[in-house]
Amino acid sequence: MANVTYSGVRESKPGRINDLGTSGKEVEEKYRKGCLKRADRSFAQGLQCQQINSMAALMSLEDSVFISHSPQGCVGCAIMAVDMYRVGQAHRGIKQIKNPRLIVTNIDQKNVVFGGEQKLREAVKKAVERYNPKLAFIYASCASGIIGDDIDAIASDLQNEYPDTVMVPIHCEGFKSKICASGFDAAFISINKYILKKESVEKEKGLVNLFAPTTVSYADQKEMERMLNLLDVKVNYIPFYSSLEKIKKIPAAEASTSICKVFADEFMKTLWEDYEIPYSHTVMPIGIRNTDKWYRGIAKVLHKEEEVERIINAEHERIEPLVAKLRKRLQGTRVFICGGTGRSFAAAALIDDFGMELVGLETPTYDEDAQVDIEYLNEIHKDFVVDIANMQPFEQVNLINKLKPDAFIGVPDWAAKLGIPTTHVLDGKRPTMGYDGLLFLGNKIADQLQNPGFNKKLPAHVKLPYKDSWYEEDAFKYITDK
Amino acid sequence: MSQIMENPKGGCVLAGINSVLGAIDRVCPIYHSGPGCCMQTTAADQGQSGHKSSCFVSSVSLPSTNMLEREVVFGGTDKLRTTIQGAIEIIDADAYFVLTGCTAGIIGDDIESVTGEFSEKGYPVYPIDTPGFAGDSNLGYEIIWNTLIDKVIEDNVEKDEKLVNIFGIVPYHDPFWSGALEEVDRILSRLGLKVNTFFTKHQGIDTIRKCSGAALNIIINPWLFKGPAKKFEEKFKVPSIRIPGLFIGATDTTKFVRTVAEKLGLDKTLVEKVIKEEEDYVYSYLAQAIGVVSWKRFAVVADANNAVGITRYLANDYSFTPVLVIVSEPIFRPEDKERIIAEINNLEYAVPPKVLFLTDQYEINEAIRNEEKEITLLLGSSNEREIALEKDIQFILAAFPMNERLIFNRTYAGYKGSLTFTEDIYDNM
Repeated sequence: MANVTYSGVRESKPGRINDLGTSGKEVEEKYRKGCLKRADRSFAQGLQCQQINSMAALMSLEDSVFISHSPQGCVGCAIMAVDMYRVGQAHRGIKQIKNPRLIVTNIDQKNVVFGGEQKLREAVKKAVERYNPKLAFIYASCASGIIGDDIDAIASDLQNEYPDTVMVPIHCEGFKSKICASGFDAAFISINKYILKKESVEKEKGLVNLFAPTTVSYADQKEMERMLNLLDVKVNYIPFYSSLEKIKKIPAAEASTSICKVFADEFMKTLWEDYEIPYSHTVMPIGIRNTDKWYRGIAKVLHKEEEVERIINAEHERIEPLVAKLRKRLQGTRVFICGGTGRSFAAAALIDDFGMELVGLETPTYDEDAQVDIEYLNEIHKDFVVDIANMQPFEQVNLINKLKPDAFIGVPDWAAKLGIPTTHVLDGKRPTMGYDGLLFLGNKIADQLQNPGFNKKLPAHVKLPYKDSWYEEDAFKYITDK
Repeated sequence: MSQIMENPKGGCVLAGINSVLGAIDRVCPIYHSGPGCCMQTTAADQGQSGHKSSCFVSSVSLPSTNMLEREVVFGGTDKLRTTIQGAIEIIDADAYFVLTGCTAGIIGDDIESVTGEFSEKGYPVYPIDTPGFAGDSNLGYEIIWNTLIDKVIEDNVEKDEKLVNIFGIVPYHDPFWSGALEEVDRILSRLGLKVNTFFTKHQGIDTIRKCSGAALNIIINPWLFKGPAKKFEEKFKVPSIRIPGLFIGATDTTKFVRTVAEKLGLDKTLVEKVIKEEEDYVYSYLAQAIGVVSWKRFAVVADANNAVGITRYLANDYSFTPVLVIVSEPIFRPEDKERIIAEINNLEYAVPPKVLFLTDQYEINEAIRNEEKEITLLLGSSNEREIALEKDIQFILAAFPMNERLIFNRTYAGYKGSLTFTEDIYDNM
């Protein structure tokens, strides 16, 4: 299998499925027996496409231009990364806050018929003339992919024309994958192919790659760096708020780890294959258990197992009395969790730190990694509903209405309208991660759940769009065999 | 023909359609599109419009066929059929509109025959066969109204001489749309009129079905809605008047009131009484803070509607000095550009500012960067904050896209809105 190049499409990995309604116990057993099948939904709500992730992952890079070879609509979600970039600059003390340089080729009716190649060339020309960037990322779209514009050939052509700008075409056509995290892989595949190019780089002692997606706040970056510095290593924080130079340094590192489970996980494997850089792929460092696990993971790779135990002990001494106070406030709360792959399982482990009980879990994909987490969760919690779904709020509200949890962790829009107290473990602007982040997060969760007046009052005035009859139906009735 | 654009303002035609449908009560768009279009189009307009988005369905709660490789190759009409069926079963909407993304448009799925299967059974399911690549949000605003005129609005509705329809204030593509429509509604209601804003007061598809009974269509926009207005008049015999820019402040709002009153032959005594009271309200406040806001030489970067309104209020009613006005939405017809320039240049005392039509962020920044005259106040979108910081000038976030403010019912329009606007430009530095 090692000879097969990974396509970047996450569902191409054997054993990974997207659409399933089940329970913790059932899914663990079925996965073990190998009887989970690919399915689909005959009715579904919108997803996040992989292009959104490909763009978001890189939009804070210095001296870069981002060219979307697409109609204008395909850069709508860029605002999320643009906002993170602007706020991130403010948090980092930058006074002259910049916009990312995002150029859309604006594929139109004429281009759909005759091709959009010329427009892409013009867009790159403009980008180079305006900013003389070190990097030009060229993103494919559904439209450019279907009409067959060859962005690789154009990029290679333009590379000769503009030798000072590294051209990086990225194949993130939305129709290729249902799993938006595929877009992260697509970005890293291109970084490897067009920037690193298997060139050898002088090793830098004590350097560790820390892969971070856009949703990591500056407070969290500082906490992650603090923790790694305690292990006496230097951090190469990439690609969020980094640069071509820092990307080029990736192969110089002694080890790699990532903040998110589905971010750079495949790329770290590639770095092992191409550069023999060992890596730690564990969990998101949210909550005590997960932070310990994440920390031990990278320490092991660095052969610093003893040091990390000393640090963990000291951190626990500092933090456990405070967590005990939070546990008192949260013990026994029945929770429903919905989130991305990394956050949903991190939240599930977090609630155990606080003695809360899991009644339902919505997560986008099920695979080998998920199985490890589910095995752990099944040991702690009785039985809980598992919905393998990327959001699908119609299933979520159906389940919540039946399970009547005391609290919901995730995007609050829909659970709030059912009157359920809500909180979240995703905040790209404030602390969430590591030992320091846990206290901010714990206090937030405890306070939000203690004072749910807003959500309690809301349902008297606002109704979700679903028919009453829907809440009586099986939440998974639209999941069908393929 | 769409232009290459840096940091574009707004989304594709689907985004514009989705914005309108999202602002109508209890209406459900169904996307026959790639997996990201629901999020992308919602983020493009609703997501950058002061953080308010449709309460009914938006973004990832929009039903979608999420077309993948299989649908690209084999067609997606089967998927569309089950998706519409599911939407009808579980979503409690008064009407469903099927929108087509680029993927469906390029492979040529016949959505009308699928929606036809449902409308034959009596379900209110309407097709809008307009792929995203056809144009921008503004085009979406016109296309959805054309669709409503063709397929939804009823003929032979009894005429109501007091009923007016408001067009031109685009939901979500204008962050102040709710507040602006509420202010227009408030003023016209004082004149004894009944007002279809379509997007406030929980007005829904029934209001739209019956809006052909109106006495007048009032287009508050210097250029949008030309095609639909003509179509509306031909099909339903409802005439329209164009107010060539959003009115902010006493002068332009009173002009608006008189224009409407004259067109509808309203009672003059009542009209003058309303004008007197409203103007008195505005000036009783302005008179309490004379000289408090320091004098400014200003530049505006906004859509045509707001660019006209902001410039005219600050120049005519507040005696600031206009320097540069950049209309930052794509406008193609020369007569539209002329109308906009005329509104901005035809000022009472002030020297007319320079007017540019630029949609590309680099070009906008360059125009401000290289402006010879001094600018001490810049009113623009979130995208213009960068150049304001670079030039170290006061910046007011007053136009779409608007990301650093939460906007519910705030508006700068009309009599009351002008006071809010003046509050916002106050600067103690």
